[in-house]
Amino acid sequence: MDPKLTEVSQQFGRFKAALVRNDFSTCTTLLSQLKVLLTEFNSLPPLFEETPNAVHELTLARDIYEHAVILSVKMEDQDAFERDFFQLKPYYTDAGGCIPPSPQEYPILGLNLLRLLVQNRIAEFHTELELLSSAALENPCIKHAVELEQSFMEGAYNRVLSARQTVPHETYVYFMDLLAKTVRDEIAGCSEKAYDYLSISDARQMLLFSSDQELAEYIKEEHPEWEIKSGSVYFQKAKESAPSKEIPSLQLINQTLSYARELERIV
Amino acid sequence: MEVDTASSANQAPAKHVLPELEIYCYLLVLLFLSDQKRYNEAKACSSASIVRLKTLNRRTLDVLASRLYFYYSYCYEITGDLAEIRGNLLALHRIATLRHDELGQETLLNLLLRNYLHYNLYDQAEKLRSKAPRFEAHSNQQFCRYLFYLGKIRTIQLEYTDAKEALQQAARKAPISARGFRIQCNKWSVLVRLLLGEIPERTIFMQKGMEKALRPYFELTNAVRIGDLELFRTVAEKFATTFNTDRTHNLIVRLRHNVIRTGLRNISISYSRISLEDVAKKLRLDSPNPVADAESIVSKAIRDGAIDATLDHANRCMVSKETGDIYSTNEPQMAFNSRIAFCLNMHNEAVRALRFPPNTHKEKESAEKRRERQQQEQELAKHIAEEEDDDF
Repeated sequence: MDPKLTEVSQQFGRFKAALVRNDFSTCTTLLSQLKVLLTEFNSLPPLFEETPNAVHELTLARDIYEHAVILSVKMEDQDAFERDFFQLKPYYTDAGGCIPPSPQEYPILGLNLLRLLVQNRIAEFHTELELLSSAALENPCIKHAVELEQSFMEGAYNRVLSARQTVPHETYVYFMDLLAKTVRDEIAGCSEKAYDYLSISDARQMLLFSSDQELAEYIKEEHPEWEIKSGSVYFQKAKESAPSKEIPSLQLINQTLSYARELERIV
Repeated sequence: MEVDTASSANQAPAKHVLPELEIYCYLLVLLFLSDQKRYNEAKACSSASIVRLKTLNRRTLDVLASRLYFYYSYCYEITGDLAEIRGNLLALHRIATLRHDELGQETLLNLLLRNYLHYNLYDQAEKLRSKAPRFEAHSNQQFCRYLFYLGKIRTIQLEYTDAKEALQQAARKAPISARGFRIQCNKWSVLVRLLLGEIPERTIFMQKGMEKALRPYFELTNAVRIGDLELFRTVAEKFATTFNTDRTHNLIVRLRHNVIRTGLRNISISYSRISLEDVAKKLRLDSPNPVADAESIVSKAIRDGAIDATLDHANRCMVSKETGDIYSTNEPQMAFNSRIAFCLNMHNEAVRALRFPPNTHKEKESAEKRRERQQQEQELAKHIAEEEDDDF
C-alpha cells in the first residue's frame, strides 16, 4: 500500500478514537492535519485523476469529511458544518460513479436540509431538494426534514415540535433544539396577532415554558409591549399601533408624476 | 479525438474554400444526421465542427456558429451525455465573450443554463446567470429561452413574483409555432400563480392545442380554488407520472399550504364564528391532533394577513371579523396603479421593439450620432409639448 495512504489512515484512526472520546480539541488539530494531507492526493476533487489508488483514496477522503461534518455538529459550530459539508458534497454528486454510495449519505444530506431550515434559508433548502432523486426523498432522514419544512410553512408548529421525538439520527437533536427556539418566536408572533388575550397557563403551554417565571422573563425580554394582568396576557397594545389612517401622499405624488411623464412621451 | 472519416475528408480542402462555406457544410451534415436519428455520428460530426470553429475568428461566422452550438448541445442531450460538454461550452462562452460575439454568448449562455437545469443544478445555473454579461437580446428565440430558464430558477428559489413575470413574458414572446415551449411556459406559470395565491383564468387552459397537455394542471387549479385537501391529494396522485416527468412534483408539494389557505379563507368568509374542531374537519387535516394543528394554522394565517379573524382560546373557536368596505382602503388604488404601470410598460416595450438594431459595421460612429439624434428628438418633443401647453 502507498505510504501516504497508510499515514492518512493511521491519522484518521486516531481522529476517530478522539471523536468517540468526545475530545474535541485533539479532533480539530488532527482534522486540520488530515485536510492538509488530503491535498496530496490527485484523485480527489477537483482533479479526479485516475491514479491506481483512486477508489481507496476517494473513499477514505469521503469518510474523513463525513466525520468532520459530524464533529462540527457535536461542537455546535454551524460555520464549520457548512464548510465541511461543501467539501463533502462533490464526493456524493460527482464521484458517485467511482465509489460505492456511503451509508452516511442520506443522514448527512438530511442534516444539511435541517440546517438550512434552522437558518431560515428556504430558497437554498429548495435548491438542495431539487438535487435529490425520488428514491432519496423516500429515505426517512430526508423525509423528516421535508415534512418539517411543510409543517413549518403551514404553521402546524406542534407537529414540528413532536418531530423532535422521532429524529432519525442522534446528530439531529442539536438542530431540532435550535428549531424549537425559532418555533417559539413564531408562535409568539402569531399569537400576538391572533388572540386578544390568553390565560397565563395557556400562554405558558403554547410557548413551551415549564414555569410561569420563565414566561414572565421571556415576555419582559422579547415582547415588553405585552401586558400581564389578572391572570392573563393581553396583546392589545401590539395591535393598536398597527393600522394608521394616513394618506400616502408622497407615494401618490410620485405615481401621478410618473403617469404624467409617461403620457407626455406617448402624446 | 472523435473525428471520423467523413469530417476529416471535409477538412482537407478547407484551405481553398471559404470558412463560412465549410461551417455551413458541417451544419448541413449535422442536420441530415440528426434527421436520420444517427445521433452518435451526429455527435462526432458536431464535436469535429466545434474543434474547427475554435480555430476560426471571423465575425461573418457568428450566426452560423451559434446554430452549430445549438445542434452540438442537442445531439449530446439526445444521447444523454449533456454533462460531458459542460466544460467545452463554458470555454466556448468565454471565447465568444472575448470576441464580442453577442449572438454566440446569448446562445451559449442558454445552452449552459439548459445544461445545468437538466441536472437540477439550480445553484450553479443562478451563479452563472447572475455573473454572465448581459446586453440587449439579438434573437427573440434565445431571449424567450433565457426568460423561461430564469423563471424556472426564480420559482425554485421562491421568488414567485419575478418568476411569474419572466414565464409569462416568455410565453407571450414565443412564436406561435413553438407549441411545446409555450406549453411548458404555461405549466410553470400556472404553478407559480397558484403558489402566489392567484387563480389562473380558464382561458389559459383552453388555448388552442394545449387543452390536453394542460389538463392535469387544470384539475390541480380546480382543487386549489376549492380549497379541498382531499381533492388536491387525489389529483396529485392521479397525475403523479405527469408531474414527475415535468419535474414539477416538488412544486406541487409546496402547493399544499396554499390549498389550506384557500380553504381557510372560504371558511372565514362563510362563518362568523366556528369551532376549531369544525375547521379541522372541513380542512380535512389528517393528523393525530387536528384541533391543535388547526389552531396554529389559523393563527399563522391571521398573522400573514390571509384571513381577518381572531381566535378565542378558551372557547376553542375562530371569530371572523366583519369584512370592511374594500373601497375605503388603498387597495383599489394599488390595483389601478399596477394596471397602469403594466400598460405603460407594454407601450414602451413596443416602441423599443420597433427600432432596428444599429448597423454592426458602423456601430462606433452611429452610437454617438444616435445619441445626438435622440437628444435632438427629445428637445423637439419638449418644444412641442411646451407649445401645446401654451395653446391651451
